[in-house]
Amino acid sequence: MADPHSHPPAHGTSYDVTKDADTPGGLFAVYLVVLLLFATTFFVSSSGVLGRYALFVQLAIATVQAGVVAYYFMHLRQGDRVVTLTALASVFWTLILFVLFMSDYMTRHRVVTG
Amino acid sequence: MTPTANPRVQGVPGLTPPPPEPPPASPNYLENGTSLWSWLSTVDHKRIGILYLLTISAVFVLGGVAAGLVRLNLVTYNSGILSEDAYNRAFTAHGVLMLFFFLIPAVPAVLGNFLIPMMIGAKDLAFPKLNLASWYVFLVGLVFGAWAILNGGIDTGWTLYPPYSTRGSQSSVVPGVVGVFVSGFSSIMTGLNILVTVHKMRAPGMTWGRLPLFVWSLYATSLIQLLGTPVVAITLILLGVERVTGEGIFDPAIGGDPVLFQHLFWFYSHPAVYIMILPGFGVVSEVITCFSRKNIFGYHAVAWSSMGIAVVGFLLWAHHMFVAGISYYSALLFSFLSMLVAVPSAIKVFNWTATLYRGSITFQAPMLFVIGFIILFTVGGVTGLFLATLGTDIHLHDTYFVVAHFHFVMVGGMVLGYMAGLHFWWPKMTGRMYSDWWSRVSAAIIIVGFFLTFVPQFYIGYHGIPRRYPNYPPEFQIYHVLSTAGASILGLGYLIPALYLPLSLFYGEKAGANPWSATGLEWASPSPPPVFNFDEERMPVVVCGPYEYALGIDQLGRGLPEPPGPGGAEGPAGRAGVTGPAGPMQKETEVVG
Repeated sequence: MADPHSHPPAHGTSYDVTKDADTPGGLFAVYLVVLLLFATTFFVSSSGVLGRYALFVQLAIATVQAGVVAYYFMHLRQGDRVVTLTALASVFWTLILFVLFMSDYMTRHRVVTG
Repeated sequence: MTPTANPRVQGVPGLTPPPPEPPPASPNYLENGTSLWSWLSTVDHKRIGILYLLTISAVFVLGGVAAGLVRLNLVTYNSGILSEDAYNRAFTAHGVLMLFFFLIPAVPAVLGNFLIPMMIGAKDLAFPKLNLASWYVFLVGLVFGAWAILNGGIDTGWTLYPPYSTRGSQSSVVPGVVGVFVSGFSSIMTGLNILVTVHKMRAPGMTWGRLPLFVWSLYATSLIQLLGTPVVAITLILLGVERVTGEGIFDPAIGGDPVLFQHLFWFYSHPAVYIMILPGFGVVSEVITCFSRKNIFGYHAVAWSSMGIAVVGFLLWAHHMFVAGISYYSALLFSFLSMLVAVPSAIKVFNWTATLYRGSITFQAPMLFVIGFIILFTVGGVTGLFLATLGTDIHLHDTYFVVAHFHFVMVGGMVLGYMAGLHFWWPKMTGRMYSDWWSRVSAAIIIVGFFLTFVPQFYIGYHGIPRRYPNYPPEFQIYHVLSTAGASILGLGYLIPALYLPLSLFYGEKAGANPWSATGLEWASPSPPPVFNFDEERMPVVVCGPYEYALGIDQLGRGLPEPPGPGGAEGPAGRAGVTGPAGPMQKETEVVG
C-alpha cells in the first residue's frame, strides 16, 4: 500500500528515479578521486614543496573536492533547474562570506589618516 | 452595499454565502492513536508540531528560571544571591536555552510544522519521516545542552567567544557546543522540509502570488536556516577542536585569530536573529488582516520584504564587532550595510499600519499580542540603528542598551509573535476556545511587564553599565529593581496562559472550523483537523488570494462566517450582517492573485 503521507509531484512534473541512477562502481570511483585529492592536499601541506603558494593550491583542491561531492554524491548531476539554481545560490552565499571577510582582513592594517 | 464581481476571482459572482460547518473529522489527528508510541512514532506534521510545542515550552520554563535568577541577583548591587561564577553560568544558560532551543524552533517547528501543509493545501510536509527525525535530533541536542547545565553549566556567555571558551573556561563548554551543533541539524531539516513543501506541494491554484504571508515568511526563514546554520556548525567544530586538541585556530597565544571566530559566529548568528523574527512577521500579517477585516496592504511588498530581509541579513554581521579590532574601512562598510535592513523591516511595519487604517478592528488576544509586537519591535528596530551607527556603537557596545535592544526585538517582537500565533491557531490545533478575558489580561500584563523590565535597561546602558557584570554602582540599583519588578510582572503574564490554555482542553468551548472568520485554507478544515488535513476525496482548489476580506470570501471562494465581535456577533459591538468591510473601504483594498 502506498504511503498515505506521500504525494504525487505537483503541477504535472514527473521524475524517473531510475534515470541516470548511480552505480556502486561509479560512486566508488568518485570516492577514490576525493581520497586522492585529500592525499595530494596532505602531501602539499606536510612537504612544504610549494612554499607560500601551498595555501592557494590546497584551497583549489578543496574546491574541486566540494564540487565533485556536490555533483555526484549530492546528485546535482540529476537535479533540475531549481536544484542547480539552489546550488549556485549557495556558492554565491559563500562568496559573500569570503568577500566581506576580506573587506576586514585586507584593510585591517591600513593606517587611517586625516 | 454588495461588493461587485471581481473578474480576477474565478467563479465568484459576488458575495457568497458561508459554507455549512463541516462535520467533525473522524478521526481527527488527536484521536488517531492515543498511546505514547503513536505520538513518538508519528509522521503526521500536526502531531510533530505538538511534540515541538511541548518540548520548547519546557525549555522556555528553564530559560525563564535562569533569567529569574539573573534578575534576582541584580536586585542588589553587590551580587547578593549568586557567586560571580554562578551568575556567569545563569546568564549563559538563559541565552543558550532561549536562543538555540526556544526562539529558533518556536514558530518554524511548532506553527510552521502544523500549518504550512494546511495553508498550501497539502496532506503533509514533503518529507514526513525527516520531520520526525528533526524532532529527535533536536532532543539529542537538548540532552547535550542539559548535560552541560547539570554538569555545572557554561560560563562563557551564549556567544562562546575564544580564547576564554577554548583555554580559560573550566565549565562544560564541549557538551554545550555539541548540543548547539546537533540541534542545528534539526533546524536545517525543518528548513529543508518547508522549502521543498512550498515548492512542490501547493494545491492547484495556489500560485506564489496567492501564498499566505506566513508561508512567505517561513520560506525566507528556511533559506537562512539552510544557508547559515552549516557555517555555525563548522565554527563550533573548530572551537571544539581547539579546546580539545590545543590546535591554534582562534587563540592568539597559539597562532589563532579570535576575530575569525567572531566573523564566522556572527555570519550565522546575526541572520539567526531573522530566523527568530521573520516567522513572527508572518504571524503578524495573518492576524492583523483577520482582526482588521481588511485585505493586507501591499501584499507583494510584505512578501518580498521577507526575502529582502533574508538576503540583506547576511551582509551585516560585523556590526557586532565594531570594537573587536576589525578594520575601520570594513566597519564603515558594515555600518552602511546594517542600515539597509531597516528598509524591508520598515516596509512591513508601514504596511501593517496601513492595513489597520479604517479597518474594522477588534481586540481579541491574538490582535493584542500583535499590536504589542508592532510597537515593541519598532522600538527594538529603531534602537538597533543606534548600534549600527559606528560612533554610537562604540559608546553603547556591550552595555545594557544592547541587552534592552535585542530583548525588544526577540521578546517584544518574537515571543509576542509566537504568543499571537499560538492564540490565533489554538482553536484549530485543539478544537477548543480559551478564555477570552484571561487571554486579554495576559496580553496586557505581558506588554506592561515587558516595558517595565527593559526600558530602565536602555537608561543604565546609555550611562555605561556593562552587560554580564553582577556588580554595579549603587546609584543604579533603583533601575535594576524596577527591571526585576517588571520581570516579575512579565513572569506572571506568561504564567496565566500556562494555566488557561491547558484548562481550555478540558473546559473550553468547542471551536468551529473557522472561529475567527479568517480566509486561509487551514480554516476550511474541521477543528481539530483530520489526519490528512482535508477531505481526501476533495482536496482544495484555490481560486483567489489569501486575504479577500473586502469580498468576504476565503481562498476557496466561499463566503466567510460572521466574525466574532466583542459580546458576540449579535452584541452591541458586533458586526452582524457584515462579513467584510464593504462600501467605502473597498478603495483601500487590493485583490491579490
